[in-house]
Amino acid sequence: MSVALPQIHMQQLMLRYPTGKTAISGVTLDIPQGQFVYLVGESGAGKSSLMRMLYGGVRPSSGRLMVQGSDMRRAGDAKVRELRRHTGIIFQDHRLLFARTVFENVALPLRVQGWKTERLVPRVRKVLAYVGLADRLWSYPEALSGGEQQRVAIARAMTANPAMIIADEPTGNLDIDTARRVLDYLTDLNRQGTTIIMATHDLHLLESHPGRVVELHAGRLIADSYSAQPKSDT
Amino acid sequence: MKQRLFHKREPGREQIPEQMNPRLPGGFHLPPFGVHQLLAVIIVCIALWAIGVIWLSMQAASQWVGSWQDDIRIHVYLDPQGADKGRETALKQQLAEIDQIASVRRIPPEEAARWMQQWLKDAALSEHELAARLPITFELTLSDQESEFLFDDIRDVAEAAGAQVNEDEVGLAQAHHWIAQADYLAWFASLILALAMALIISNTLRMTLLARADEIHLMRLMGAKEWFVRMPFILEGMVLGAGAGVAAWLLLWPMVWVTGGWFAAMEIDVNNWLLLLPLLFGGALVGALGALVATANVVASEAGS
Ligand SMILES: Nc1ncnc2c1ncn2[C@@H]1O[C@H](COP(=O)(O)OP(=O)(O)OP(=O)(O)O)[C@@H](O)[C@H]1O
Ligand SMILES: [Mg+2]
Repeated sequence: MSVALPQIHMQQLMLRYPTGKTAISGVTLDIPQGQFVYLVGESGAGKSSLMRMLYGGVRPSSGRLMVQGSDMRRAGDAKVRELRRHTGIIFQDHRLLFARTVFENVALPLRVQGWKTERLVPRVRKVLAYVGLADRLWSYPEALSGGEQQRVAIARAMTANPAMIIADEPTGNLDIDTARRVLDYLTDLNRQGTTIIMATHDLHLLESHPGRVVELHAGRLIADSYSAQPKSDT
Repeated sequence: MKQRLFHKREPGREQIPEQMNPRLPGGFHLPPFGVHQLLAVIIVCIALWAIGVIWLSMQAASQWVGSWQDDIRIHVYLDPQGADKGRETALKQQLAEIDQIASVRRIPPEEAARWMQQWLKDAALSEHELAARLPITFELTLSDQESEFLFDDIRDVAEAAGAQVNEDEVGLAQAHHWIAQADYLAWFASLILALAMALIISNTLRMTLLARADEIHLMRLMGAKEWFVRMPFILEGMVLGAGAGVAAWLLLWPMVWVTGGWFAAMEIDVNNWLLLLPLLFGGALVGALGALVATANVVASEAGS
């Protein structure tokens, strides 16, 4: 439903938290629509901080950040809201609502966007069928395995058909095989045109699921596989 | 929506138990009702009941002064024995000079006699005879009966001229004055109670809000509009308040029945129906106010992540 380009443009981007900690400094980076980008770097390198800026969770302190045509330093509430509606977020700790069923968790983004029940129910069923959880609609997340929970999180992130998905270590606490399955879904979505930006520590995933690798170190950009081979793709 | 979900079962799929219909958050969906909410309703109901009692009493009191409400007249009597025309006009003039007296009217003896006759129906007195015996009566129309020394002034003037003031009427006029004051008090008490109720509802909702902080945060990250996040809580506040209002109104009926006989003797007829809508909407308003206060805090605590 979105026609906005998820073109991300960063120039001399800097983020300093109110505590005085500079999490990101001097990052210049462009991400065209439809790319699969791995964000790697040691713990505390600033991966999460960078992603937070992409959906307006925090505002850049200086530099330039354009996301889907919005200047994130100046974007008003309405702009940020609009952007978030076209962005799927997957958290490392998946952040499913344990008081709600799988169905309700996945339906949440659609509810937020005001979808009518008649449209919403088939869409949620379809998305859950896609991640192989069609028979767990009315389970509570508690009753699911870690891998299944992460798949619910993916379903929730993709249900509103976002132009880009931001995934912060979505395979953080999964074994290799389960992690690969989760990645299969993301690469499949990417093939359908969704931009994926994923922070990870699991470098071995790159072998089976190649993509552009952007490496951060202490808040600075130190390596980018895209600039080395500009036509890289999945 | 229930029907659809239930009938849309596909063969081979897990059966969908009916009670598992999705309870989707946000918008016009009410959060669940718990024991805290019930307690809040009870407390708010008691407070609203107290407000109801106050206003019922006000109703009774203002009926008690009844017809004196609109224009209050005080009568001053001058004994016709030994009263000459000069004293009479001097008295009339002095009375008229008091600021808060709008007009002074000398009631013609015939009118007074006729009135007397009507009042003492079967007393077979001749109108003429009666007229001669009745005191000279001045009827004072007051423009402002709330003035502090007005009645003392009237008494002073009357006494100086050897006339008498109808003290029963003065008493009623003063009662009216005090009831007007009590009106302010009633408003004040209602306001204080309303604030307390808003606070109670706001605290109850804050507990629900805290329990749902994750959900609220997530909805914001998904681009939820502010009203969408707040609406369930505002609705809940309104439902709590309105429910307490209706409960309080129902609990006013026993009061009305108990005092009914006593009031009937005083020709007072309080109307509890008048209080239904004010209690209902007042409760809902107070509830919405509490919800706004409660959700405002959550709005302010929007942070990163
Ligand atoms: N809300 C915050 N307030 C202050 N400082 C923060 C905040 N969030 C992160 N930081 C700091 O910013 C730096 C970068 O943190 P960030 O979470 O972006 O790292 P990361 O690369 O995601 O690490 P990890 O791989 O462990 O998740 C860290 O030094 C961290 O302490
Ligand atoms: Mg992180």
